Amino acid sequence: MTVRVRVGVAFATPAVLVLAGVVAFPLLYALLLSFSSYTFLKPTLTPFVGLAHYLEAFRDPYFLNSVRLTALYAAITVCLSLAVGLGIAVLLFQPAPGRAFFYAVISIPMLIAPVGVALLWKMILHPELGIVTYLLERAGLTAPDFFGDPHYALFTLSLVDTWQQVSFVTLVLLAGLRSLPREPLEAALVDGASFPQRFFYVTLPLLRPVIGVVLILQTIAELRTYDLVYVLTRGGPGAATDLLAYFIYRKAFLGLDLGGASALAYLLLLFTLVLVVFFYRRIYREA
Amino acid sequence: MKVWRWFLAATLVLGLAQAQVVLRALMEDVPETHIIQKLLPDFEKKTGIKVEFEIVQYGAMHDKLVSQLLAPESAYDFLEVDFLWAGEFPAAGWLEPLEPYIQRSGFDLSPYLPSMLDLVGYYNGRLYMIPMYNYAMGLIYRTDLLKDPELKARYRERFGRELTVPTTLEEYVQISLFMKQSAGVAGAAMQGQRGDPNFMEFSNYLFGAGGDYADARWNVTLDSPEGKKALSLYVKNIREAAQKGALNANLDDTYRVMCQGGAWSMITYWWMLPQLDDPEKCPKVAGKVKLAVMPGGHGVNGGWGWAIPKNSTHKEEAWKFIQWVESPEIVKKRALMGHAPTRRDALTDPDVLAKYPYYAEVLNILEGAKKVPIFAYTAEMEDVVGREISLAATGQKSVDQALKDAAQGLYRLFKKAGLVK
Repeated sequence: MTVRVRVGVAFATPAVLVLAGVVAFPLLYALLLSFSSYTFLKPTLTPFVGLAHYLEAFRDPYFLNSVRLTALYAAITVCLSLAVGLGIAVLLFQPAPGRAFFYAVISIPMLIAPVGVALLWKMILHPELGIVTYLLERAGLTAPDFFGDPHYALFTLSLVDTWQQVSFVTLVLLAGLRSLPREPLEAALVDGASFPQRFFYVTLPLLRPVIGVVLILQTIAELRTYDLVYVLTRGGPGAATDLLAYFIYRKAFLGLDLGGASALAYLLLLFTLVLVVFFYRRIYREA
Repeated sequence: MKVWRWFLAATLVLGLAQAQVVLRALMEDVPETHIIQKLLPDFEKKTGIKVEFEIVQYGAMHDKLVSQLLAPESAYDFLEVDFLWAGEFPAAGWLEPLEPYIQRSGFDLSPYLPSMLDLVGYYNGRLYMIPMYNYAMGLIYRTDLLKDPELKARYRERFGRELTVPTTLEEYVQISLFMKQSAGVAGAAMQGQRGDPNFMEFSNYLFGAGGDYADARWNVTLDSPEGKKALSLYVKNIREAAQKGALNANLDDTYRVMCQGGAWSMITYWWMLPQLDDPEKCPKVAGKVKLAVMPGGHGVNGGWGWAIPKNSTHKEEAWKFIQWVESPEIVKKRALMGHAPTRRDALTDPDVLAKYPYYAEVLNILEGAKKVPIFAYTAEMEDVVGREISLAATGQKSVDQALKDAAQGLYRLFKKAGLVK
């Protein structure tokens, strides 16, 4: 080992040890738990149960329902926040007076804790006291029971989440727009390209890596959604909003089954990794 | 020399300060905790033992307690235990059996209501807790609507009998539907949110219909004819007579509806009565609400108990605290300050009754109150049964199917807890 390598190892070791302590150890311990019969009532790793928790999960119709709902929820929320965020970012990118004010306003939802957002929308959409219900009824319409009707509950939840996520998406995309090279856009302008042509054929392809980052980050965030469900619906009505992270929480803290919950958490990690790798390959490799 | 004297004195003071026992407990952030906190100087004066409360919201309590109970030494020397954990904690071996303490100190259990001792006292025949607080459930209803001459006449004409406080579940749902159709208010403010809200509410219907979750040997009886009657009436009431949004409503929502005069009744915790009867909080209904036993005679019992963790380092001192806080003198003081009693002597005390006349009805409620199954997985049971009730209430499952699935889920939990083979 050369001196250069030894110095490198010496400098890297503390960071590697910290990472091993705070990332690798919990991950490996959770993996170990997922193969064990560890519960809060009998906190021992033995007897090991192998893949039993994983197999049990796939036999549980409510777990499969949670997976389906989480995929649907993440798809709706990520797509909506990307579409709306991109629209707002493009608008804010245009030279106009008072942009700083709009930046500030658009950042507000991001600064509120998710529990605060949930409580805010709970009151806005409240079936008896909410302003939305009031306005719809004043307009002669029948307000839907946003969280109480299983047909609307998941979609309403994803709209509330979108409201908050749009801030982050907008700010990141706006930063992306600002960092784009000006030459291709100016060339397109000189060639007489219209605004939609410039947007779809120049801006959007150039922005693709930034959109990729947002897509990956948002997908990870949405797959882990817990707080909105906890405050707004508790997974109901029925099992209409029983998202995976909330399902796992209940397995651990209501079912006291840390082994089973660890297995489900690993499955969630696996789904997330598969999606992230898929997006990464589609966006970056093709680019 | 002077420096040495000061040093010795300081060491002595520090030593004494360290020798003073400090008891710590995790308490819920509710008025009852603050009532006890106000009385603590009396205990400290009598025993020289200091007591410190860590006060948190209910939602944070269970996880905090479990992590301490799993540790070699608990940061808490005594506990207040909700009845929902009164199976889990002893089953896990986390609590100290209290019989030896009772025998040594001659503590008198006889004033405690049997239903309270059954709920937050005994587990599998051993005493682990001393009841501290009750929050049994009953019916709160609007007297002005029941007395309304026009409504009375219409009810008599339609059903051939008087409009009075219902005594059976069928009557209750019938009046609830009638109020929705005739009085311009919801018949019932209902908490249909999945989990604890709808489980607790439905349990009253189940007990009121004469049903139960299981028999004494933990055989599931939920899918009995009484269970079917209870769930059918519950679904009918929530779909046809409850307030808008009832399927996702929780306790706070039902309180708001009732407080604003939006409903004729609610099946809820009895302590809701003084809140609704307060002219400052609820001017629309104050003076027009009353408490009654759950139609059918049995509602759900609820309560908290005092316990000592096995891994406490100050068990004897913790028992001294429990003896003090549950002594007749302090119990009466607490009751007069608004702390719900669990002892018959406090509930029938003339001074207490003069201040809180509705305690007479609370006693009736407690006499007939029944407990939901208390075992290691009570919290999971609420989730499993609550999900099926919610599926039936939203029409996603039939009553029969939901009952069958809830009963199967319940059986699996009893089996997991080792209660049935």
